[in-house]
Amino acid sequence: MTSNLPLINIMFLMITAFAFPLIKKIKYIYFFSYIIHILLVISTLATLMFVVNHGAYALNIGYPDTFMGIQLYISHVEALLGVVFSIIFLMVVIFASSTIDKEISENRIGLFYLLVNILYTSLIGVIYSNDLFNAYVFIEVSTLSACGLIIIKDKGETILAAIKYLIMSTVGSGLVLMSIAYLYSITGHLNILLSHNVIVATYQDYPNSVLIILSLFTLGLGVKSALFPLHGWLPDAHSSAPTPSSAILSSLVIKVYMVLLIKIIFRLFGLNIVKDIVIMDIILLLGSAGMIFGSVMAIKQKELKRMVAYSSVAQIGYVAFGIGLGSIAGLTIAVYHIIGHALTKSSIFLISGLMISQNKSKYIEDLKGIGHEMPITLILFTLASFSMVGIPIFPGFISKWYLSLACLELNRISLILIILASSLLNLLYYFPIVINGFFGKENLKGRIRKSKKVNPYSLFPIVTLIILMLLTGLFSGRIIDFIALSFA
Amino acid sequence: MTYIILLPIFFPILSGIFIRLTSQNRLKPLLIISVILNFCFTIFVVSYFPEAAVELFEFNNLLFFYFSPDLLGKIFAVLVSTLWIFTTFYALDYMSHEKKTNSFFMFFLATQGITIGIAFSGNLITLYLFYELLTLITFPLVIHEGSDEALRTGKKYLLYSFFGATFVLFGIILLYSQNNSLDFMSGGMIGILSNEQLPYYLMVYLFLFLGFGVKSALVPFHSWLPSAMIAPTPVSALLHAVAVVKSGIFSLMRITYYVIGWETIEQTGGNKYTLVLVLITIIMGSFLAISQKNLKKRLAYSTVSQLGYIMIGLVVFTPDTLTGGLLHMLFHAFIKITLFFCIGAVMHYEHKTELAEIEGIGKRMPITMTCFSISSLCLIGIPPTNGFVSKWFLAIGGIKSGNYIIPIILLLSALFTAAYLLPIFTTAFFKGPPIRETVVKEPNNLMLIPIIILTGINVFIGFFPNLVINLIEKLSLILY
Repeated sequence: MTSNLPLINIMFLMITAFAFPLIKKIKYIYFFSYIIHILLVISTLATLMFVVNHGAYALNIGYPDTFMGIQLYISHVEALLGVVFSIIFLMVVIFASSTIDKEISENRIGLFYLLVNILYTSLIGVIYSNDLFNAYVFIEVSTLSACGLIIIKDKGETILAAIKYLIMSTVGSGLVLMSIAYLYSITGHLNILLSHNVIVATYQDYPNSVLIILSLFTLGLGVKSALFPLHGWLPDAHSSAPTPSSAILSSLVIKVYMVLLIKIIFRLFGLNIVKDIVIMDIILLLGSAGMIFGSVMAIKQKELKRMVAYSSVAQIGYVAFGIGLGSIAGLTIAVYHIIGHALTKSSIFLISGLMISQNKSKYIEDLKGIGHEMPITLILFTLASFSMVGIPIFPGFISKWYLSLACLELNRISLILIILASSLLNLLYYFPIVINGFFGKENLKGRIRKSKKVNPYSLFPIVTLIILMLLTGLFSGRIIDFIALSFA
Repeated sequence: MTYIILLPIFFPILSGIFIRLTSQNRLKPLLIISVILNFCFTIFVVSYFPEAAVELFEFNNLLFFYFSPDLLGKIFAVLVSTLWIFTTFYALDYMSHEKKTNSFFMFFLATQGITIGIAFSGNLITLYLFYELLTLITFPLVIHEGSDEALRTGKKYLLYSFFGATFVLFGIILLYSQNNSLDFMSGGMIGILSNEQLPYYLMVYLFLFLGFGVKSALVPFHSWLPSAMIAPTPVSALLHAVAVVKSGIFSLMRITYYVIGWETIEQTGGNKYTLVLVLITIIMGSFLAISQKNLKKRLAYSTVSQLGYIMIGLVVFTPDTLTGGLLHMLFHAFIKITLFFCIGAVMHYEHKTELAEIEGIGKRMPITMTCFSISSLCLIGIPPTNGFVSKWFLAIGGIKSGNYIIPIILLLSALFTAAYLLPIFTTAFFKGPPIRETVVKEPNNLMLIPIIILTGINVFIGFFPNLVINLIEKLSLILY
């Protein structure tokens, strides 16, 4: 029973999703979503416990043999990511129940929750599935539902942003589909494990094919996860979407494709095969470029949410950097960064949403002195920005530290400078908000202390996320060891 | 029981938060009680826990917060908590016109806790954590004025500090990847290097030195220090004579003598490069001080130069230079805080900040300016003052190690020191209207008494330097 939970999760989310539009009373919609997401947290935790006790396992659906059937594969990373995702979804849903009615029209709230559920289904689908075509289907579903979550606000800019996202994403999906087809033509399998066996036996006969498949995967998934310089759609999409949507999009959706890329590199090809392929260095290069330019562009932004969105481009750069190192240490820390950043960025987006709605302005300029009016909110923002800047014990520091150690392991000392430069750049755009928010005579003029009340339902999820973020930093040793079990 | 050694770190932070939450009119007694209590705690810990060590959290090999106050740390902690008492009294008067001082004093007290945290850190990662926190917690103090200029300066301060911390982090990562440990150990943890390792450890040393050098105002990373003079004078006095810059120096001592080890550094030859920077710091600091018209800025550049003196003890490896450097770290703290207090008193009561404006101030505030003059003489190093003692040791050590340039630089800089300090009190005493026409108006006792006591300490140590020298020489002997 417990071993079947991943499948049950996917089905349960998919089926309950369509109940939302049928519920008339908004209060019940909120209530229903709470129940679903709390159940999901419990069930993903149970899966995690199962994996802790029994180790990684494959779950065959339909046919008992993996040749025909769909297969899910749950190892430590998948189980852990499942828990993190379910917690973030729960928090975002709680947050949404207090603010979403201000951002979208009332008759669409049911639709919003439907899309959240579908998106959630597709995300854990991508994470769990051990079958490339199945993963592709979930990728498509995630793209469409993410588009829906952006467009649901029904304003000119969101429609434009969503169309941009849709076009770019479709190109990405096309590339992924092409590479899957190519892979199938060579190996005759869609299952990652079976394909891997074939590749290991024959890859020396097809050196170019391996290169092409991996390039196509990297490009396709890179577009979808906004890997620099394929990030053009992200700032518009993430900044114009309703706040809960942007939190999910920025902290979870773009990460999932990176998880898939990790699976492809580690499980489909194996590090031994990819380590001589030039594409790994290209991933590393794009990651480094993203870390620097994402931050540089974030500095130039005038709107808060756009700035945070560009910061996500930089953070995806960290993940790509870890992958591009092509070592076990690099992959481990890439996964750790996905978790740490998911918690940090979701809370930053929720906080930004709160500040924007309370301050009635989306510009950073107008946030001066906000710390006087919303002290707790800005303190939470400060904590999250400490992680971004890399103060010790926060997850951002841990990622930086272990990424640097991973570089040293490969004797690439100069790469550390990129990591450090990027965190200094983070300082340049996160701290001015904190400083101008709390300090400065001019900034505080006319601001009344604690005048902007924050709904506890909005604050609770943010506080929880920040606490989890801190714990992720403090218990980083254990978490990293746990992640490393998957890459053993 | 050994957890008591954490008391001097966390008590000020907690009492700071408590003070922030209580009302304005109970501020004064609470503040005084908490600094005096913390002084007692520090003394208690220092005298009754000779070998105590506390592992606060050990999450893994890296995130391992470990405190073990050794002799060096204890000296620094006592220095910090002593000067904090004086500054608190002084600040109570200085800040009395300001309205919302609760949050100011919260950060003020928390800074003490964090500085003592630096002193008690038992490994490099704990030190680094507190070092970063020190930047963050002192930032609100620096920009207390709240003007646009203050904010700009604050950003400069943050940027410089984090830039330095990034260098430090780079060095720590390089170090950790080779040794898998960051614990302090007298004599260093690396030992004798093979020839292939030399460039690597040279890089580690230089990055760590330059990184911590930012807070110790090493030229060319010094320019945040004069800018940060925009802070209220108690803050300038404390942070830029004791807490922040001395934390930088203290961290440099840790890496030089406890992490990398002086023999290892000598083997890499890294100290030759840093010695050049240090000597430039001494000369350039005092040279720039002469040209400053603003009194606080003049003292700030003087700090830059004097920190260079201390750093001689970190780049020329003889027991004498180390003794001299440590002595100068203590003496300079006392002297510079007195000088800042005097200038602050003039600023506070007479609203005069420039050299040209203070003509005749010596007649209006005779005690203050006399204290200023005495402390100036101490800083210049005229025998028998304490400044002379420390410079003597530095010069002797320099000659013993064959660096004849050091005594020359020291003499030259002493001349410069005289050139920037003497005009202040000659202007104050011998210019301006005759004595009959002026009214004597000394500062409030809260301000005056700390100044007098500190000057007294300076003079006393000048006459009886052996009290301190014995202690410091014990430390130097441990390290050599």
